Amino acid sequence: MQGPLIEILARQGITRRTFMKYCATLASLMALPPSAGRAMAEAMAAAGVATKRPSVIWLPFQECTGCTESITRSHSPTLESLIFDVVSLDYQETLMAAAGHQAEEALHNAMKAGGYLLIVDGSIPLGLDGAYSCIAGRSNLELLKEAASGAAAIVAMGSCAAFGGLPHAKPNPTGAVSVSDVVKDKPIVNIPGCPPIPVVITGVLAHFLTFGSLPELDKHGRPKAFYGETIHDRCYRRPFYDQGKFAKTFDDEGARNGWCLFELGCKGPVTYNACATVKWNGGTSWPVESGHGCLGCSEPDFWDAGGFYKALSTPANPLKMASAAVAAGAVAGVAVSFANRGKKRAAASAHETTTLADLEK
Amino acid sequence: MSASLDKGVRVLKEVIDAPIASYFSSCVHCGLCAEACLFYTETGDPKYTPIHKLEPMRRLYEQEYTLIGRLKKVLGLSKPVTDAELGEWQELVYNSCTLCGRCSLVCPVGNDIVYMVRKFREGMAVSGHAPEGIVEATRRTVSTGSPMGVTMHAVKAQMKHVEEETGISIPLDVEGVEYMALLSSMEIINFPEYLSAIARIMKHAGKTWTLCSTGFEATNSGIQIGVSDLAKTIVSRIVEGAERLKAKTVISPECGHAYTALRWEGPNLIGRPFTFKVQHIVEVLDELRTQGLLKTEGFETDRLTFHDPCQLARRGGVIQPQRNLINMVAKNFVEMPDAGKMNWCCGGGGGVTAIERAEALRIEAFKKKKSQLEAVKPDRLVTACAVCRTTLEEGLEHYQMNIPVVGLTEIIAEHLPEQGA
Repeated sequence: MQGPLIEILARQGITRRTFMKYCATLASLMALPPSAGRAMAEAMAAAGVATKRPSVIWLPFQECTGCTESITRSHSPTLESLIFDVVSLDYQETLMAAAGHQAEEALHNAMKAGGYLLIVDGSIPLGLDGAYSCIAGRSNLELLKEAASGAAAIVAMGSCAAFGGLPHAKPNPTGAVSVSDVVKDKPIVNIPGCPPIPVVITGVLAHFLTFGSLPELDKHGRPKAFYGETIHDRCYRRPFYDQGKFAKTFDDEGARNGWCLFELGCKGPVTYNACATVKWNGGTSWPVESGHGCLGCSEPDFWDAGGFYKALSTPANPLKMASAAVAAGAVAGVAVSFANRGKKRAAASAHETTTLADLEK
Repeated sequence: MSASLDKGVRVLKEVIDAPIASYFSSCVHCGLCAEACLFYTETGDPKYTPIHKLEPMRRLYEQEYTLIGRLKKVLGLSKPVTDAELGEWQELVYNSCTLCGRCSLVCPVGNDIVYMVRKFREGMAVSGHAPEGIVEATRRTVSTGSPMGVTMHAVKAQMKHVEEETGISIPLDVEGVEYMALLSSMEIINFPEYLSAIARIMKHAGKTWTLCSTGFEATNSGIQIGVSDLAKTIVSRIVEGAERLKAKTVISPECGHAYTALRWEGPNLIGRPFTFKVQHIVEVLDELRTQGLLKTEGFETDRLTFHDPCQLARRGGVIQPQRNLINMVAKNFVEMPDAGKMNWCCGGGGGVTAIERAEALRIEAFKKKKSQLEAVKPDRLVTACAVCRTTLEEGLEHYQMNIPVVGLTEIIAEHLPEQGA
């Protein structure tokens, strides 16, 4: 494989082999067939060669920029960021050099061409006619509708864009809603998480580039490849859960031994995400590994789903009353047994030998 | 006279024992016993599900012997057992149960359902709900000595008849013999060939034997009606007779429930072990065979099959001896499907043949035996129980199947060497 992308990579000290490995890893993470790795690599290399790279517009609404932080700074200059060398990121407020009118012009030029991939992070406030969040004097709602009309597909990046997120939390003063609450006529893929895992973002982009379509989604519009299993099912602390070994406080022996954090409020059992397998910060660690339970940030309304430190359910302790129950059961059993013996003995002592005369009324 | 619901309830309270308590509390309501009962399979009526036949007794057990049941009774939440209900159950406890025990064998939790039916009959009988036919049979057994009203005079007449036919004298009331043979009334009246066969076989084997004038009748209506007191009276005649004659072994004849009554229930009824051994005639013959005392010559060449009497094979565990014996004299012996332990009942056991009103149902249930026979198409059917034999003959006649039924002992006797000499 030759081409400008490979040369760019080589200049950054990344060999062709490393790039192929990255694509293969990405493909396997998304549960695509092995051949998809090569197809991805070729598609991305070709995208890099093409005079017109696929256009991507990134619109930030009611958000904290954490999603952008996630995909850029925290992983730069790892391989994930390279994907932006193969697309034309025509508008991204945080990353772009342009500002003011120049920036708006770039956006309009990109939108004119159409067929772009629209990435949205942040929720859309509907309260006060959208006055809570405006860019260049126009409300987020207006901007989204305009940008969405020409988009080939939309990626709702982060929990705010996907489900409304923190701004949507009760009492939701700004009337924040998700992208899918506003746009109904475009393919939308939700990449929730607060923030989402970088490789999930790049994986969806690679899929879009390679196949021209979005990956298979679950009922919440999330790519099944990354959101197909719960944190709990893939958690390295799961064996402790199965053995009933739980940390009771954050500084007890259980916590030090790395036991299950279920009783400390871990939402792993009800949270679908890839943290337990992909991990964070270049595979360094992830929340449970650092000693804190999962907050469930990739699930709708996670902020309002009860306290972060409240266990999903408190298991009964049937053994606490065991000895009392055994004693009570034994007493009742003995009492019933004596009563029954008495009754049976009374019936037996009242026995009158049955004769032929006793067979008829 | 004096039968009443109160008496029935009192007796049921008395007979509900630890096994019954554990059976009722173990039942998982799976319904497998239904498929094991020929009255259900041939009619498709769920009321014939074996465990359902015990419903009044189960309720009584619950109300009297369980904590929850007592609470429910106190609070008036449970339905008391009524006289009318027991009357309704007569058909289920007597007419549609031959005590064949097939249900007990299939129960996945090991409930001996037939044991419970037998106990339930104790309460049914003293509350006046035993069918007339069985009551009459019991009355005749207790008062005249046999369910068919056969007296020692009739036995003596048969003895004389057999003596003339075979030229062998039939010993009566001989002390210190090896075997004391019993007869069932059915054999005395309908199948005298059995007595003749015994006489010839004993002579051939060189064994001493006798009949007993005070204990000749093997059948026990007390077991069938379910009154242990009467069953004890009846079985005591045999025990006293055998002990008076100092017999080593008492031979239960070709009758199913007589074997159960004497061998399994007998010692429990009289409350002590017997001083003699009890064997079914089939066991005796097979023992003589292994001792080399029973030799035969010639073979039956037609197609024979064997109907296992439930009380002998399933309840008594005697399965192989009869096959050993048939194979001595038969070249063309075939097994029916489900033969042996899981054989289907003829439909007449447990007193059912004595119940006139059960006849239509019994004929309906016989369709099971019919299908078993149709599967192997035998020329003749061999069995080792006089009640089975009568029921089979009636059923075969009803369905116009031309298959003669013969007793195993007489077939063996026909092949004794001296026959030709």
